[in-house]
Amino acid sequence: MSIRCDFLAAGLAVFSAALAMGAEAMTKEQMQSAIVSDSITIPTPGEFFSAMDEHGHPNWTQMFSPKSSVNTSSREQMALMLGVLVADGYLAAEAQDGQGVKNTGKEIINLTKKLGLVRENDEKSKGLLSRGTSLVAFAENNDWSTLREELEATQNEVKLSMIEQKDKDLVILVTVGAWVRGTQVAAEFISKNYSAGSAGVLRQPAIVEYLISGLGGLPEKLREGPLIAELRQKLGSVLPLVQTKDRAPVSPEAAKELAATMLALVNAISEGGRK
Amino acid sequence: MKKLILFLCAAGLLSAQDAPPPSATPRSRALELAGAFANDGYKIRDGFWAGTLEPGKPQFLAVNLFSGNEYWFSAAVLTPAAKLSVALFDDSGRPVDVEVFQDGAAAAAGFVPAASGKYFVKLGLVGGEKTEFCLVYSYK
Repeated sequence: MSIRCDFLAAGLAVFSAALAMGAEAMTKEQMQSAIVSDSITIPTPGEFFSAMDEHGHPNWTQMFSPKSSVNTSSREQMALMLGVLVADGYLAAEAQDGQGVKNTGKEIINLTKKLGLVRENDEKSKGLLSRGTSLVAFAENNDWSTLREELEATQNEVKLSMIEQKDKDLVILVTVGAWVRGTQVAAEFISKNYSAGSAGVLRQPAIVEYLISGLGGLPEKLREGPLIAELRQKLGSVLPLVQTKDRAPVSPEAAKELAATMLALVNAISEGGRK
Repeated sequence: MKKLILFLCAAGLLSAQDAPPPSATPRSRALELAGAFANDGYKIRDGFWAGTLEPGKPQFLAVNLFSGNEYWFSAAVLTPAAKLSVALFDDSGRPVDVEVFQDGAAAAAGFVPAASGKYFVKLGLVGGEKTEFCLVYSYK
């Protein structure tokens, strides 16, 4: 990060290094009062993959094996699958696979239609439909950076539509689906190409806690369904794997176990969970 | 990096006392600042944090960051007399070293986490009056 030096060299004393020395630590009350927001506290799969790029230079083309959308009447399963597809969109962008982005974008729009978030001749639906068109346009123009931003905007617009049509319980499921798929891809790569640096990106206990808490906050009828119950149980089982002491990277064994658990969850989302 | 300086000058972000244009919002100002970092390869998150900030009453946001990424947290208010500050803390509440851009009603903090995990962003206001704020972040 060389921005500070360049600014100082230009004679513009607007940048400075703010050192921790002398700054006061947060109080417990301040830590407890911190805002937690789905749209900014939880990172996108794109951030996850960007960090992996720094550590291991994955071959994204090899890693992009998109999940097909589900044929189900379960709204919960569709919302989870939407999240998986959003993560697939980021994967396709990393792989710079234009056709992959187009296919994924089409699947996302199809699922939003099935969920009733997009309706023909509906003014409000135009925003989401135009997102789908934009994804295709950015892919055709190889504008991968803007495409990643558009994917997040699409996901946020889907969540906003869910809230507007009184489906707010589905919002956390989109977040869970995207996180599970992103972690599955990352953990698989890291378990096969282990380094302490790359394994560091898997250490995200607060996100797992947030997802478990979000699923736990669903109405009982949803919470006790087989798919949600499996997600809660398996996310609970991976929490100790990513909750390392002294910010240490996740161990090779833990990365392997995490990859296997996340793959089982992605498959459960595709297939509908334990019957 | 010169582009970044030129952008900030052109956008008026280096002149703290300039009143914002009537159509400006805290989010548009925060995005304006974040846009300078976008020119340097940073991707701007679509999500944002907005609310009301009072002098002497800082607000905190929990974020989850990845080692390997570089981050800029950009915030803005519309009160020209206000001095905004952005700081970061680790998951135990200890302050971490950041690069700071400060220009009155707009401020940003740059951070390269050595470890992935939870961090806290502190947004503070010195002077001015109770005002609306917006914070966005970008990464690369």
